[in-house]
Amino acid sequence: MDITVSAFETKFELEMQKIMPDSNFGVVSRGQEALQLGMGTGDVNGFSTAEPDWNNLLVCVGRDRDKEAFARLFAHFAPRVKSFLLKIGTDINLAEEIAQEAMIMVWRRAETYNPHQSGASTWIFTIARNKRIDRLRRENRPVADVTDPAFAADAPELGDFVVMRKQEDEKIRHALKNLPEEQAKMIFSAYYEEKSHREIADESGIPLGTVKSRIRLALNRLRAHLDEIEGSANR
Amino acid sequence: MNEQVTLHNQMLDALLLDYTTGSLSRPLELLVETHIAMNPSSARALQLMLKLGGVLLEDIEPVSMSEGALDKVMRQIEQDNDNQINMPRVPNRTPKRPIDTLLPQKDCKKSWRRIGIGVSEHIIDFGDELGKASFYRIAPGRSVPSHHHEGAEITLVLEGGFTDEFGSYGPGDISIHEAGSEHQPVADNDGECLVFAVNEGNIRLTGPLGRVISMIIN
Repeated sequence: MDITVSAFETKFELEMQKIMPDSNFGVVSRGQEALQLGMGTGDVNGFSTAEPDWNNLLVCVGRDRDKEAFARLFAHFAPRVKSFLLKIGTDINLAEEIAQEAMIMVWRRAETYNPHQSGASTWIFTIARNKRIDRLRRENRPVADVTDPAFAADAPELGDFVVMRKQEDEKIRHALKNLPEEQAKMIFSAYYEEKSHREIADESGIPLGTVKSRIRLALNRLRAHLDEIEGSANR
Repeated sequence: MNEQVTLHNQMLDALLLDYTTGSLSRPLELLVETHIAMNPSSARALQLMLKLGGVLLEDIEPVSMSEGALDKVMRQIEQDNDNQINMPRVPNRTPKRPIDTLLPQKDCKKSWRRIGIGVSEHIIDFGDELGKASFYRIAPGRSVPSHHHEGAEITLVLEGGFTDEFGSYGPGDISIHEAGSEHQPVADNDGECLVFAVNEGNIRLTGPLGRVISMIIN
């Protein structure tokens, strides 16, 4: 194993510890976060099962323009969006700004949210993704907008494609945890370091073809788990 | 499963994943968006990848927002209410093929440059170093001069179909060629083939005709 690969491995291990520690991760930070924002503490002791139903809160925002529901969504998701952006190397001020802008977009678009199509976290991930691309485009090449009249003003509505159900989250988590390490690595590098598959190959020394095949294998495992749910639902 | 199909599926997944994480160049992003609009199976793959993003977002260690962030956002939201601009009321539909906004009229002669017998090209200027992005129209049964890629070439079929050494492609299909490969696409006989292709590096045309064209182009 050469130096690049082992550096990559170590980084990955650290990453795994951060993402999937065996302990009750997130409990403390969730409490702190709620206190900071002066929120009620009713939900802070919970794991995912005891958490508030983010999907419902998002529906409330869309239907009733419910500011309290929005504040709770903000307390939960804004710090996560910011964290995600920092992880992929966004400057801290920009990460803060994009997280705020994404949450404003959540408010504006909440009416179009359909809980039957996607979970709140997927929906917000998508909005944050679009917001970030939007911002980077605007900052790096202000002129390029001229060439894409359709998309400059209106980022693609990925929500349209999202037809996933809520309980799938747990299945995905489960599948992720059980992925062979070398496959999980690809997924985390892609999402948490925002690396293209080519960059993963270049930086890890793993051949491009191997990177692609591991990505495919990882996604197939996730697909298999989801098909399982669909199978049992149709039975 | 045959090896070619397996390789193709791997490349497609890798491309879709790059799209999901926002690491594609603008022209490739547009190509993938159009592909997704035309291909239900890739739309499902994207759903899965976005879902995965949602799960990873949910599980990430949160980082505190700056002080007063919520107040600031709330003020912005209240302004929205005042101005009655809180949201786009009409759900804005993604165009059927997002790429169509860049596609010139077929009868607009000056938009299409002939680059071979029965083959014409319209180059899209994305205004930077993102490689070359073009529409190609290939007359039925005609072929694009055999060419060699210095960078990867990703081609999306919009109308009609073509066949090359690696397979046959119909509307909504993507063909991916890594750097260094060579191929000669031939349009199907039953109609004109319209494709959108992104080259991440310079193409060097090979073959006798290609060399001549290469000289003209460069």
